[in-house]
Amino acid sequence: MGKKICWAVIFITIAVNVVMVQWTVEATLGREYSIVPIYSGISIVMVFIAFFTYLQWKKLEYSESHDE
Amino acid sequence: MMSEAIALYRKPLKGVEKMSNECKKERHAKRSKSDMVNLIQNVDQKDDLKYNRRAFLKTAVGASMALGLSTVPFSVRAMMGLSEPDHERVEIAKLADLPEGDSVTFYYPTENDPALLIHTVNGDLVAYNSACTHLMCPVFYEKEEDVLLCPCHKGYFDVNNGHPVAGPPQRELPLIEIEVENGTVYAVGRQFRHG
Repeated sequence: MGKKICWAVIFITIAVNVVMVQWTVEATLGREYSIVPIYSGISIVMVFIAFFTYLQWKKLEYSESHDE
Repeated sequence: MMSEAIALYRKPLKGVEKMSNECKKERHAKRSKSDMVNLIQNVDQKDDLKYNRRAFLKTAVGASMALGLSTVPFSVRAMMGLSEPDHERVEIAKLADLPEGDSVTFYYPTENDPALLIHTVNGDLVAYNSACTHLMCPVFYEKEEDVLLCPCHKGYFDVNNGHPVAGPPQRELPLIEIEVENGTVYAVGRQFRHG
């Protein structure tokens, strides 16, 4: 996975998490407690994706600069 | 002879001494008079190290993780079973005291939850919690337009189903389930998402 793809994945996770926060709050205010954990679960998955993508990006970024 | 030579060696030349003083005072100064130093005066190295592409991506990752983790308390709350409890059956009003096109305020399920029982101009009986889903202002029944109005920010709700039709509210008003028995209207439950 290249660095540009890492950037894209991280920004996609931000977009998805923004939507999930919105939906979670709406579901909580609407007392739809059964679907709140689903949105929350998707958010957690996105958190892991963002974190591991960041580690991948860091590896690529700093190894290149070291070679220079 | 030897001591004179050592003294001469230790004594700096006149021009060299002046140059070294300039270096100490001005060459590393923020506002240097040297043109060569002023060439890079607009470059702030601290900012370059702090606000760069790498820092931006790290902040983006942090923001993504913070957003994602902020949903966890909602999930914990939902799973702890803090859901809507069963409601009592509460008398609201006598049907004879509520002519068509009129409404009455009551509180359900607690004293902190104002609600509106409406006898619409079409003859239907409907009840909703009257706190606007936008910013909790009280909602009123407009008989002339047969609509529920929140005057704070001009939010309109359909009187037949409680859903927002205009203005800032995005969610429907909580529906109070009612029963009519022997000419008396009772509140028996509440639904947050309906229709």
